[in-house]
Amino acid sequence: MSGLEASVDTVLEAGVHLNDYRSDVIEIVARPGRIRELENIAAARGLTLPGFGRVVATGRWLTMSVRPERWLVLQASTPAGARAAQWQTACAGIATSVDLSSALVLLHLSGPMARELLARSCRVDLHESGLPTGRAVATIMAQSAVVIAAIPSGLLVLTPATTARHFREWLLASAGVCGLLPQSANDTLDLFGGSA
Amino acid sequence: MWGPARIAQGLLTDSQKPVAFRFDGHRMRGLSGDTLASALLANGQRVVGRSLKYHRPRGIVTCGSEEPCALVEVCSRGSREPNRPATTLELYEGLEVESQNRWPSLRFDAFALNDLFARFLPAGFYYKTFMTPGPAWERIYEPLLRRAAGLGRLAASKGAPHTPAETIHDHVDVLVVGAGAAGLAAAQRLGRRGMRVLVADEDAVLGGGLLLDERWTPWREAAFTALEAMANVRCFARTAIIGAYGHGVYAALQSLNPAESSRFGGMRERLRVVRAKATILATGAIERLIAFPGNDVPGVMLAGAAHKFLRRYGVAVGRRPVFFLNTDEAYESVFALAAAGIRCGGVIDARTASPGAERARALGIEVTAGATINGVSGRAGVRAVHVACRDARAGRKIEADCLLISGGYTPNTALASQLSAQLQWREEISAHVAALAPASGQMAGAARGVFGLAAAARDGECAAQMVAAQLGYDLGSVAEPALPADPEHTLINPLWEVAGRGKAFVDLQNDVTCEDIRLAAREGYEHVEHMKRYTTHGMATDQGRIGGLLGSAILAQARGLSVAEVGQPKPRPFAQPIPFAALAGAEVGAHFKLKRRLPLQDWHQAAGASFANIGLWRRPLVYSQQPGWEAVLREARAVRTSVGVTDVSTLGKIDVQGPDAAKFLDFVYANTFSTLRVGAARYGIMLREDGMLLDDGTTSRLGAEHFLITTTTANSSTVLEHLEFHLQAACPQFEVVLTDVGDQWAQFAVAGPRSREVLQAIVTGLDLSNAGFPFMSAAAAQTAGIAGRVYRISFSGELAYELSVPAQHARAAWTAVLDAGTRYGIVPYGLDALNTLRIEKGHVTGAELNGNTTAEDLGMGRLLKKNGDFVGRVLSQRPGLSTPDRLQLVGVRPLDPNKQLRNGAQLLRPGSTHPSLGYLTSVSAGAAIDGWVGLALLATGRSRLGQRLVAASPAHDEQTEVAIVSAHMFDPENHRVRA
Repeated sequence: MSGLEASVDTVLEAGVHLNDYRSDVIEIVARPGRIRELENIAAARGLTLPGFGRVVATGRWLTMSVRPERWLVLQASTPAGARAAQWQTACAGIATSVDLSSALVLLHLSGPMARELLARSCRVDLHESGLPTGRAVATIMAQSAVVIAAIPSGLLVLTPATTARHFREWLLASAGVCGLLPQSANDTLDLFGGSA
Repeated sequence: MWGPARIAQGLLTDSQKPVAFRFDGHRMRGLSGDTLASALLANGQRVVGRSLKYHRPRGIVTCGSEEPCALVEVCSRGSREPNRPATTLELYEGLEVESQNRWPSLRFDAFALNDLFARFLPAGFYYKTFMTPGPAWERIYEPLLRRAAGLGRLAASKGAPHTPAETIHDHVDVLVVGAGAAGLAAAQRLGRRGMRVLVADEDAVLGGGLLLDERWTPWREAAFTALEAMANVRCFARTAIIGAYGHGVYAALQSLNPAESSRFGGMRERLRVVRAKATILATGAIERLIAFPGNDVPGVMLAGAAHKFLRRYGVAVGRRPVFFLNTDEAYESVFALAAAGIRCGGVIDARTASPGAERARALGIEVTAGATINGVSGRAGVRAVHVACRDARAGRKIEADCLLISGGYTPNTALASQLSAQLQWREEISAHVAALAPASGQMAGAARGVFGLAAAARDGECAAQMVAAQLGYDLGSVAEPALPADPEHTLINPLWEVAGRGKAFVDLQNDVTCEDIRLAAREGYEHVEHMKRYTTHGMATDQGRIGGLLGSAILAQARGLSVAEVGQPKPRPFAQPIPFAALAGAEVGAHFKLKRRLPLQDWHQAAGASFANIGLWRRPLVYSQQPGWEAVLREARAVRTSVGVTDVSTLGKIDVQGPDAAKFLDFVYANTFSTLRVGAARYGIMLREDGMLLDDGTTSRLGAEHFLITTTTANSSTVLEHLEFHLQAACPQFEVVLTDVGDQWAQFAVAGPRSREVLQAIVTGLDLSNAGFPFMSAAAAQTAGIAGRVYRISFSGELAYELSVPAQHARAAWTAVLDAGTRYGIVPYGLDALNTLRIEKGHVTGAELNGNTTAEDLGMGRLLKKNGDFVGRVLSQRPGLSTPDRLQLVGVRPLDPNKQLRNGAQLLRPGSTHPSLGYLTSVSAGAAIDGWVGLALLATGRSRLGQRLVAASPAHDEQTEVAIVSAHMFDPENHRVRA
């Protein structure tokens, strides 16, 4: 009779891995009727602009859309504002771009209990069938605004910088029972590996 | 075997693992797997509590969550948790519990005197008595009643370790409530099709009625094996669905047993919020009470409970039981106890003939048919029962140590009723079933009146078929397995009450008797819902589950109606008691409220700042732990005389871009921004639609189509919402993009006559001279090599700049400012000093922008543009907002500089106590001005400049003579900011 619970025990012990990542984050908003041109600009940079609610990893870029006709572009860190300036120039008249590299904190969760962990407080369906790899969603968890993107290596959570500590502390408190293992800050972009 | 009443190996107990516990201080032993109830019974403990009103001794009546009597307080270090049903409280080593509602002891309860005065304490007695004298209610009656009644004591766990509960969200295709035959059969069918299924059962083990029938063990184990192999099916024991909220949303309380609790850091429960596309309610049926005198004596128990105690825990509830029943299903308990070697004192069957009676007689058990029980001998335990035969004048008495009763089975329709299902009376089971709308789900098994395990299993499969079809799945057909046959049974003979001398209870927890219900009917509370509230029948923690329908039947008899016509009270969430801790979830303690952190929070902390909670922020007030104004004034005077730096990162910042950005700002601001040149900043005010001031701040033009708005800290999200609303609703034609960049930029105000020199040392790419970068300028620049922005704006009234850098570089920029300012004696200053500086200068904050003030009130009427529309324009011109007697912003100074001003002090004419002419909104000791300074909102304030009034603070018993002055008390000509 308790066999059903035993399977959960095994999974719990497998744990969750939590990594903090740094990345440039640029928000790009297409001007009305200029999406095709923006897509061309992005394509010239080797970038695909995914549809609403989707995330796509292309080489060393990761782009997602959780608001209509708005994209978050994540890529390796550069000197402050440099990336935003590049996009500003490239998209002049076609789209606006805003640097949010300091505004958003990136947390990466992996492991078999990662989705189970986030289901504590997240009311979006995080099951693989509800949020399969390649999908992204904006919601609220632990009173914090978050964007959750399902990528091949796990779940990427973007949360505002000023509430990130609160969210992270909540995550750690909730995750103690899941065997969550916080790891040191990571500046690599390996998490983008694989195609979503 | 542990305990004299333990006669067999229980299905759930481990005889090799004794568990020590204490009940009312007495050391006892049970077995691992026991509940407290089974362990108490095994130890021969009959009386476990006292009743609510009459303090009658009460024993264990059921074997599950429907238990009305056996409620205990669980004691642990520093805390007491009352009203835990002993029947669901799993035993663990060291458990300490106490009985409830008795004084001084369970055995001798002084308040049992209430029982002698019962005739004066009928239902609703408190509505008719204790009326006079009036003050006696609060001083005498209420304290006395509270002392005499009530269940248990809740003791706060202050100081005691507490692990918060957690909330988990589940999304499934189908929620199956109940893991008996119907639920497990349904789950298997759905699971095999690949659907996401969650099975929840309140019991500590899954199986429901299957656990009581050995013949079903292979089927049950096969079901578990099959379900365990399905990754798409999750089965949760100890998980009660406590609320059904429509649209497929359910609340489930998942309790953790002691072992799980230990593994999860001491957590005791989870609240699961389940969202299901479809639902199968296989919640079973609840055996019900029969009302007869003495039906509350310890030892009177439901027959099914005795069966469960024997099968699950190996405990005999008595050595000589007598049964009183009226269904064939209840005979299964008779046979089970007989098979265990318990000598039955007889069966009293209210029916004249039944297959069950024949089987019992064949086993040598005496069955008295067509009879009832109309009395019980014994107060602290059953000693004998009194049998009344319909065809005999005199009854007889049977010696017994327990009376096991069964008045039939009531389908558990609580959740269905919460889903607005209509109840339909079914004569053949003498109970209601729920007609659940197909969109809400399906009922299955005993929950819809289908009794018998085989019948329930087949019904569960049918329910699965129907919900699958509704969701677009075809389950196909499967070979029907051979199932153990259900026993033959005949129709129930409804039996609600047996008349006799003494109290016959319908609600054992709230001490509601048949007579109470008849009294309610006589007094006009005829509707079942009115009766419920008048008598409190069904309002206790057990929700009257074993006596709910019985109460309706008694009411029906009193009104001369059928039970179908009377109906049942509508259950509401929660279907079971739920600890507040579970509702609070993880958002308690440090996680109760969202906290926003400044990019330099750690620096401020290390610098010894005192903090204040401002909204979600913890902002540095002053860099000192010493109380008083000395440190504040030291910081403020440093700004006035040399230079200081303060963290203003909490200001809201909104990036506005697009070809129509300037036009949009012209619309949402009361003043004009389209004329602002690139590289310049302008102070602006925003009105609400009703013409009142919403917010103020500076807006900088960073490019032809690019602006940056700053808002007050408090209104940052309000302003963003305001802008997004008007962009979408009022200006959809505008091509504008709004982005909240509040978290992106850390911002520091460097203020004071030496601020330019400090910045010149660290800012590159910008001519900071007064000509090159005049007051109200904005530009991109590098601070200590960090790309950012510099604004020449001032809130302090001094020459000042605000540096803006990406938040992740805040520490480097801040340190560079401090390093560069060392030679000028730079100090970091906190919110208190900032407040002092802005009050002297006459700048407003939330204290003045309080939602009740207009631009004119605050002396900013000239900012309202004369041409062109803007939000709030029309209503700002209402006569009521421009009358001269409105409160207007003024400065206030005490005539005696040594006198302190108080926030909120009322301004009065000298010598009068009313009317109030206005009040002080902000006060501070002066930094550049001798004595205290204040801002006030004063009726016709600007016409009173030079007047002398009194600032009265009754809370401090102070009256201070003050002079009304201009709000701009320091450098009114703005020489310093433009220096």
